[in-house]
Amino acid sequence: MKKMILIAALLASPLFAQLNEKIEVPYVPFPIKMGKGFEAIQTHCLMCHSFGYIINQGRQSKKFWHGKVMKMVKHFKAPMDEQAIKETTDYLFEHYGNGKLK
Amino acid sequence: MKRRDFFKKTATIAGAAALGTSNLNAETTEQPIDNRKVSPVAFPEKRPLIMYSDRPPLLETPRDVFTSALTPNDQFFVRWHMPDIPTHIDPDTFTISVNGLVNKEMKISLNELKTKFEQVEVTAVLQCGGNSRSAFKPIAGGIQWGSGAMGCATWKGVRLRDILDQAGLHKDAAWIGFNGSEKAAYYETPNFVRELELSELDDHVILAYEMNGEDLPYLNGYPLRLVIPGYYSDSWVKMLSNITVTNEYKKLFFMDVAYRVPDNETESETPEKRFPKTKPIKKMNVKSVIGYPTRDSVVTYKSHVVVRGVAWDDGHGIQDVMVSTDGGKSWEKALLDDGKLGRYAYRTFRHAFKPMNLGKTTIMAKAISKIGEEQPFAKDIKWNHGGYKYNGIDEVTVEVV
Repeated sequence: MKKMILIAALLASPLFAQLNEKIEVPYVPFPIKMGKGFEAIQTHCLMCHSFGYIINQGRQSKKFWHGKVMKMVKHFKAPMDEQAIKETTDYLFEHYGNGKLK
Repeated sequence: MKRRDFFKKTATIAGAAALGTSNLNAETTEQPIDNRKVSPVAFPEKRPLIMYSDRPPLLETPRDVFTSALTPNDQFFVRWHMPDIPTHIDPDTFTISVNGLVNKEMKISLNELKTKFEQVEVTAVLQCGGNSRSAFKPIAGGIQWGSGAMGCATWKGVRLRDILDQAGLHKDAAWIGFNGSEKAAYYETPNFVRELELSELDDHVILAYEMNGEDLPYLNGYPLRLVIPGYYSDSWVKMLSNITVTNEYKKLFFMDVAYRVPDNETESETPEKRFPKTKPIKKMNVKSVIGYPTRDSVVTYKSHVVVRGVAWDDGHGIQDVMVSTDGGKSWEKALLDDGKLGRYAYRTFRHAFKPMNLGKTTIMAKAISKIGEEQPFAKDIKWNHGGYKYNGIDEVTVEVV
C-alpha cells in the first residue's frame, strides 16, 4: 500500500522532482577592485546586479560609465543623489576606465 | 571549500570575464569574442556554461554545442533582467491569469492547460537580440555576449489564440501585455512586461510548459513561457504569470527604450550621431554559427574534417549555407539537413574539408535565406547603440598540424 501511494505521488509530480524544492542560484564571488568609492558601488550597484555586469563591460571611457550610471537612475529608478552618481562614476572610471574622458 | 580552492576558483572566474576586452580601440565590427571558457560553477539544472553574472543569472552556451538542431536543455542559454527570481513555484497551485478587455476573466492552472486545450508543438530558435554583441566596436552597452546567447528547442504547449478565444476578446482589444514573475529590487523599477499587437499574433505563438520533452528548466522560465517563433527572445516572456488585454499601447521601458534599433533602412547610426527614431528589434535576421571545428580543435593536415553548424532566420527558411576555407575567396555549398523540424528551427549544415595547408586556416560560414537575405561580412555590419541583431559571416580559425 505504501508503495502504491509513493508511485501515485511520483506520477503526479512534475518530470523533475527537484523542482518541488527551492532552487538555489550559486553565489559567485566576482573579483571586483577595491578602492575609493567602493562603498558607493556596493550600496548602489549590488542591490540589483552582480559585479559581473561591471567587469564584463571591459575598460571604458568616463562618458560611457557616466552614461551607465545615468541609465540606472533614469530607467531603472536607482535611488541615487548627485554625490552617489559622482562617486560611482569616478570609481568605475578609475578602476575600469580606459583613460579617455569621452 | 578550502581557502586556497576558493581563490583558485575566483581566479578562473576573473579570467573568463577579463578575456572579453580585446581590440577595444578598433572602430569596425569584427568577429564576436570567442575565447571565453565555461565557468567552474554549475547553475541549477545546467551544466557549467559561460557565465557573466549570478544575479540575475546570465549564462551563454559554448560554441561546440551548435552542431545539432536541438540544443540540450542543460546547455541552453539563460538571460534574466531582474535580481529577484522566485526560487520556488508550486506546479499544483500555479495559475496564469487572463484579464483586461475579455468577456470572461480566467485563471488557468497548469493541469487545465495540459488537459483542456489542444496541445501543440513548435521547434523554434530562441536568440537574444544582443547575441554576438561583443562584435560591435566601439563597445555597445550591455552584456558582451559571444555567439552563444541562443538555442533551438521543441516547445510544447497551448496556442495563445485558443486561450484568448476562450476568454473572448472585446471588440476594441488591440494589445496584449505579458508579465513575468521576476521582480526588481526597487518598487519604482519598471517590471519586465512585453506588449504584442493583436495583429502580430499568429497560431505559432504558444504558451509553452515543455522544452525538448521535459518540463521547462527553471532558469528558462519554468513553469510557463511565451514562445514567439521568428522573434528575438526579449518577447518570449519567462515565468509567465499574467496576460492583460488592452485597447491601447502603454509606455514601457522594455518596449520603448531597450531592445530597439535605429528606424532607418540600414538600422544603423554612429556613436557621435545617434539616430533619433527607433523601432523594436522584433524579427531575427539570417545567421549561421559554426559548431565544429572550434578554435580549440586540433585539425590534422590532409585529414577528413567535417565542418558542422546551424543556420536560421525568422521563419522564411534557409536556402543555402556556403562554406569558405580560404578566407572568403571561394565558397562551396554545404549539405543541409532535411529541414523536417520546420522553418523556425535550426537548419544544420555539414561540409567536408581536407586541410591541405599547415598552419592557421580560417573557416567561414554564410547562410542565405529563401527570400535571398544573405549574411554580410562582419566588417560590413554597421553599428547600433544597443549592439543588436549582429549577423556577420561566422569565422573559426584553427591550427592545422
